[in-house]
Amino acid sequence: MNIDFYLDIDTVIHRFDGRTKIILFLVSFLALVLFEDPLFILPIALLILLQNFLARAWMNIWRMRFLLFLLTFTSIIMWNLFASGETHLFWFVDLESLLYSTARTMLILLMIISGLNLLSTTRNEELVLAMIKLGLPYRVGFAISTSLRMVPTISTSIYTISQAQRSRGLDLEGGGILERLRKFIPILIPVFISTIRDTNIFGMALESKGFGAREDRTYYLEMTMDRTDFLVLAFCFLIVGLSLYLEFAGFGDIAGLTKF
Amino acid sequence: MTDEAISIKDLRFRYRDKKELVIDNFSLDIQGGEFLVIMGANETGKSTLVSFFNGLIPHYTKGPMKGDVFVWGKNTKDHKVPELAEDVGIVFQDFEAQLFSTNVELEVAFGPENFAIDREEIKRRIQENLEFVGLEEFRRRSPATLSGGQKQKLAIASVLAMEPNILVMDEATTDLDPISKQGVYEITNKLRQREDMTLVVVEHDTEEVLDADRIALMRDGKLAELGPAQEILRRGDLLAELGVMPLGIPRFFEQMGSSTLPLTPEEGKRIFEKENWKISNTLYRDLVEKEQGELSQKKQEPIIQVRDLKYTYPNGVDALSGIDLDIYKGEIVAIVGQNGSGKTTLAKHLNALLMPTEGEVEVYGKTTAEQGVFEIGKKVGYVFQNPDHQIFSEQVYEEVVYGPRLRNVPEDEIELRVKESLKAVGLEGFEEADPFSLTKSGRQRVAVASVLSIRPDVLILDEPTTGLDYDGQRGMMDMVVELNKQGSTIIFITHHMWVVAAYADRVYVVKDGKILLEGLTREIFAEEKILKDSFLRPPHFVQFSNLLGKTFLSDSEMISCMEGK
Repeated sequence: MNIDFYLDIDTVIHRFDGRTKIILFLVSFLALVLFEDPLFILPIALLILLQNFLARAWMNIWRMRFLLFLLTFTSIIMWNLFASGETHLFWFVDLESLLYSTARTMLILLMIISGLNLLSTTRNEELVLAMIKLGLPYRVGFAISTSLRMVPTISTSIYTISQAQRSRGLDLEGGGILERLRKFIPILIPVFISTIRDTNIFGMALESKGFGAREDRTYYLEMTMDRTDFLVLAFCFLIVGLSLYLEFAGFGDIAGLTKF
Repeated sequence: MTDEAISIKDLRFRYRDKKELVIDNFSLDIQGGEFLVIMGANETGKSTLVSFFNGLIPHYTKGPMKGDVFVWGKNTKDHKVPELAEDVGIVFQDFEAQLFSTNVELEVAFGPENFAIDREEIKRRIQENLEFVGLEEFRRRSPATLSGGQKQKLAIASVLAMEPNILVMDEATTDLDPISKQGVYEITNKLRQREDMTLVVVEHDTEEVLDADRIALMRDGKLAELGPAQEILRRGDLLAELGVMPLGIPRFFEQMGSSTLPLTPEEGKRIFEKENWKISNTLYRDLVEKEQGELSQKKQEPIIQVRDLKYTYPNGVDALSGIDLDIYKGEIVAIVGQNGSGKTTLAKHLNALLMPTEGEVEVYGKTTAEQGVFEIGKKVGYVFQNPDHQIFSEQVYEEVVYGPRLRNVPEDEIELRVKESLKAVGLEGFEEADPFSLTKSGRQRVAVASVLSIRPDVLILDEPTTGLDYDGQRGMMDMVVELNKQGSTIIFITHHMWVVAAYADRVYVVKDGKILLEGLTREIFAEEKILKDSFLRPPHFVQFSNLLGKTFLSDSEMISCMEGK
């Protein structure tokens, strides 16, 4: 069981500077939240998918398919509850609210995909280094990368522990909600305890390797912005500028939509 | 600067949440350039002691302490862990938790980076240390994809890259297969050649420490004995008394009344021949025939049959292929192989935790796919390697009762089963104890009891002796044999070859997802060359007997076959 997203391959996206990749991620977020109308989100969506395609990272989307599907399903319905419009379609769904919920759903999915693009193409260490070069303190950057690192460790222990309990007769299927929740206790407690233990060893190993020995530290990884990076960033700021302009000019909203 | 690399003066320490002292009035000087091994039973304070060397205690783990520890004359109380890391490097037992980078190079770079070493120098150190431990071809790989032995070598390289002059290995080879273990010790032996390197090693395996300068034996937080390794290792009774496995070879020669006690198989052979001793061919033949007769009697009633099993991971990597395996009622079968060879994956098929990609696994004539894990669980119980991966209750009783309750066993019957299971594992009277407060071997026993209470016919134990001291290992396996006598069929996975020699009827050797060898324990241990290819080696005593042309599994067996005895 491995849910580390980083793909150790060489693509044009992988070769981008870590800073470029982080900025792309942040900026795509900004561009996405500007609009209510799915039509205006579409170009940015295509760019994000293009990035994913160039990074050969579609398999990470595929791995997340169940989560993405679940989010799509619930989000498409849910956002209708928080908005209404003038053109009634059926039940609590209006044309305007449906457009709005489609846009919101796209936003959520694209945020995840954009995040996956970043994680698929950027090593943990590269991410930390990029964050530091963007001005974050080392310890903060390291903390973020450590929490990312914990995800695969915890998921491996969940897998092993649930196997151990299943072989003792635990059946996670069936039963009411409360009963199901109760069934998770024999899994959660060992996961919790082994995670604390791992974290403790991790902490000791970290200090034993001189973590925080000097005010400053050096980096073995090299990171340089080259021409491609500047071109990509220029292009991406152009898109954001355009998006901002369109938003202020009053485009991208859904006419007749009321949000609660 | 002083000559002592590490100097421990009247040290006393207890953990905050414990009442007893872990380290009790301990004094010891470790000379610069020395190779010192610390041995002793579990919970005698070995790991606690070495945690003082780089200041993890008292800076990281705190507790009431008296006395001092000096590293090159510096009091560790006054220096923080990262400062002391320049002198003292530590390699831990758990190789998963101490590696945290995404590739091998960056793992080695991490330490020097923290000391603000410039990039060119880091590059040089990566090259030097990866070459030193033999991992240079893996420099771009992710540590997660390395085998256990390689991970531990990487951990060593990453510590050496900080260029410490004292290297501490805290049970660093406990989870490794025999040849990977040897690989790590080859590295320590190379390090010994460096005069400026002091080595402190905590180890359970007596056979691996023959090259040490001195051995310190610990008991209840005290220094029980300290002396030259060659001397201590010949004192089998002392070792056994302190919960450390005595060596088979000197014990044999002692019982034979020899004045010189050899330690290695080669020395043993030389002295054996010099003494002009002979092994009786007739007695040996009788021994082998008797054993074969007993086993063919056991091979009557098959319980588990595996035919042409293939298993492919979801990511497309083949884990097992072409596996045929039969388990008969009443047997004790060992499954051995290198770290990552597929032993655990194979064993998980036997109780339906994993389903074959191709081929069949049958339990009592029905495939596991038909029956599913819930049904199979009643017949085949599985004790996981790490008891902490299954214990969740606040009381031992509650833990043991969990399985039967899930299977709707009536309450009065449950009562009986818990009693019976706790008795079998030697934990009677511990019903109300908190399992988390027990020792590793205690928790291991709770885990076994909680599977026994389901009353399976077959019990699979995944590395039941890993992390236990000699007494713990023996206690665990004696218990397993007792269960076997009462009718349980036993399958166990292990790295401990002496456990195989002492307890298994039959052995399967797994290599790269295939069965490489199958046979009686004696037959398997006669095949030293093939075993070596699969990262295994028989215990020293068996190797010694192999050199003499016969395969004996223990010293008492050999003595019973001596001519004129």
